[in-house]
Amino acid sequence: MSPKKWLTAVGASALAVSMLAGCGSNGNDGNGNANGAASPSAGASSNASASASADASASPSAAGAKTFENTELNIAVFQGGYGREYWDRIAEDFMKDYPGTKINITASPKIAELVRPKAVAGNPPDFLYMAGGDNVPFLNGLIKDNALLDLTDLFNEPAADGGAPLKDKILPGVLESRAMSPYGDGKVYLAPYNFGVLGFWYNKDLVDKKGIELPKTWDDFFAANATAKENGRALFTYQGLYPGYLEQIIVPSIYSYGGQEALDQFFNYDPQFWKSETFKKVWGILERIATDDNALMKGTVALNHTQAQTSFLQGKAMFIPNGTWFEDEMKDAPREDGFQFGFLGVPSGQAGQPPLAMTNVEQIAIPAKAKNPELAKEFLRYLYSDKSVQLNAETSKGVLAVKGAPDLGKAFLSETTYNVYKAVDGGMVAVNGTFKAVAKGSKYNPSDEVYKPISSIMNKQMTIEQYGDKLFKIYEDIQKELKASGGE
Amino acid sequence: MKTRRGWFIAACLLPGLAMYLLFKVYPAVQVFQKSLYLWTGVADKPKFIGLQNFRDMFHDDAFLLSVRNTGLLMLVVPVVTLLIALVNASILTQSKLRERGFYRTVFFFPSILSFVVIAILWSFIYHPTMGFVNSGLEMLGLGDWALPWLGDQRTVLWALAVTLVWQAAGYYMVMYMAGIDSISPDLYEAASIDGATAFQKFFHITVPMLWEIIRVTIIFSINGVLTISFVLVAVMTAGGPDRHSEVVMTYLYGQAFTNSNFGYAMAIGVFIFVVSILLAFISNRLTQRGSH
Repeated sequence: MSPKKWLTAVGASALAVSMLAGCGSNGNDGNGNANGAASPSAGASSNASASASADASASPSAAGAKTFENTELNIAVFQGGYGREYWDRIAEDFMKDYPGTKINITASPKIAELVRPKAVAGNPPDFLYMAGGDNVPFLNGLIKDNALLDLTDLFNEPAADGGAPLKDKILPGVLESRAMSPYGDGKVYLAPYNFGVLGFWYNKDLVDKKGIELPKTWDDFFAANATAKENGRALFTYQGLYPGYLEQIIVPSIYSYGGQEALDQFFNYDPQFWKSETFKKVWGILERIATDDNALMKGTVALNHTQAQTSFLQGKAMFIPNGTWFEDEMKDAPREDGFQFGFLGVPSGQAGQPPLAMTNVEQIAIPAKAKNPELAKEFLRYLYSDKSVQLNAETSKGVLAVKGAPDLGKAFLSETTYNVYKAVDGGMVAVNGTFKAVAKGSKYNPSDEVYKPISSIMNKQMTIEQYGDKLFKIYEDIQKELKASGGE
Repeated sequence: MKTRRGWFIAACLLPGLAMYLLFKVYPAVQVFQKSLYLWTGVADKPKFIGLQNFRDMFHDDAFLLSVRNTGLLMLVVPVVTLLIALVNASILTQSKLRERGFYRTVFFFPSILSFVVIAILWSFIYHPTMGFVNSGLEMLGLGDWALPWLGDQRTVLWALAVTLVWQAAGYYMVMYMAGIDSISPDLYEAASIDGATAFQKFFHITVPMLWEIIRVTIIFSINGVLTISFVLVAVMTAGGPDRHSEVVMTYLYGQAFTNSNFGYAMAIGVFIFVVSILLAFISNRLTQRGSH
């Protein structure tokens, strides 16, 4: 089982208020009956079905009369924590609504390994959903190779069940983010799928019973060390062998201390970032966690994600960073009596600032060499219909990066999960971003370069000054490589 | 008649040979060829860049660190493994222990476990709080010596080395026991009559008579370090903390499958190939002289 390092997936820089705002505004007051769609079936192009859907609040099958020259669609999907049932059922629905089409699903936890040989041979599947640490690099390779289909038009066209452009359904900022628009040219090459919220977790049962006040700022956080000690636990632990999880603290904190400007420096390899006050403050938090007595759970650096998370559930530490998948991932793990998942987000730098959380969005892509891009796009459009969003919540317990998705799926989500998404709605600042692509053939993997050495800070064998100098040089190198490859 | 039989044999061998060429030799040749290209291994055409990948290798700090780590393991692990195996084999064959079969099984046991199981098992043995090592130390009153073995950059490599030795020693022990069994008991008997001690018998009979087997096991063991360390590192440490347990194979894997640098990864593969051949050659030369 590989750790869920959803390092590349992304969303907006401030989704906060808008998250659920679109919930009632889809002009689609819950009919979606297939019958209403029978009328416009004649000579349907996408425009025809669009105008049809404008008057009759359309169901996905409004577009069902579209004909496709090639009716067979091959999709390759990651089978991880969310399972594959969603894909099986949505494909069935699609085939019902689009008679004559046939969808073949390949699903695997190591889907990239199955797809890679076909892609190298120039014969990729028509539709890719790649997530999980082992598969995302493959997608990044496709991005580096400019091998993805431009999806901009699709998002400008009407949604499957509404007259408004599809892009209006997607959470604000997501399509413009580097994760979906990797070349920064305003063109969308990746489509959003499940939306995740990442931040601090705690034992709600303990906090409620003992009347512990949750930290709002980093000062509060370190002050809570005394409370942690009283309750026989360390203040903090993380997934030691995979320091990449600390991204969930670092990225929001950079935003909290230095704003979007600092975050851009960090993600765009401006070496000066490593000389900035923001760097010193953010990494200072880590150094303090490493050095304060009782702050870091003993042995954390040597633990893998399962071991560290289990220790947390057993009450050995008060806080741990993780994402919305946490509860489901650990559902069989032993825990202390009465343990309840509580989500806190990340403390802010200054008093009075709201708490922050990192968000990310999984990606879907259509390869430029897909045999059937038209049907693949139609299927993609179909995924954003309310019916599909609901089905996704029911079968995979996931929340699509679509306005109002948590409420559409409320009946199927656990209370904690629902509350996490609601917290983002209730004023928590959602921060995001992803590293700019390095030059083709570069030996540097930015997230490795940034996060791996943190182990040495955590076991007190490197100071943050040494760390900053090291990263300064690496950022300079990456810039040089980018310049060199751009000049070719 | 004779030629017809020759044709028949050739016809039988041909499919196997074709498969071997197609699935073994051709990919190997490709590795050499592609090591000269800039290739993401995803969708784009490889671009010829000559020896650039090889030049890059020597300016890549992370790669050099992984070479250093692998080198240290290759230097220490085979020596310790084979010494333990040899001594154990000699004790179990020479002494009149009644539990001989039992020990043989216990020592051989790790060899039948999958590497992944071994890695998981040992990551629990080294667990900083609940692990066998640290709680053992505490029970002996040596609690101050307890360390997060896999989380400290000074100990992580040696913690892995212990696991490598534990995994392989039993296998080589059984090989040596088989070798010792084939040594004529007369030799030992004669030596005993002449008043030789167990030590003398070990150095003057067992080791020289086993020398050919020892030579083979040295090469096996060096190669074993290369391949098994990949699994142990991938499961137990992920190369951490801060790359202090990164080995060449995990680095190669990372460059290929996480960084999409297949050309560079293949250059590293060629490097490993050349180094292994060299090591085999050197150890062969060194041990040959000793056999005379």
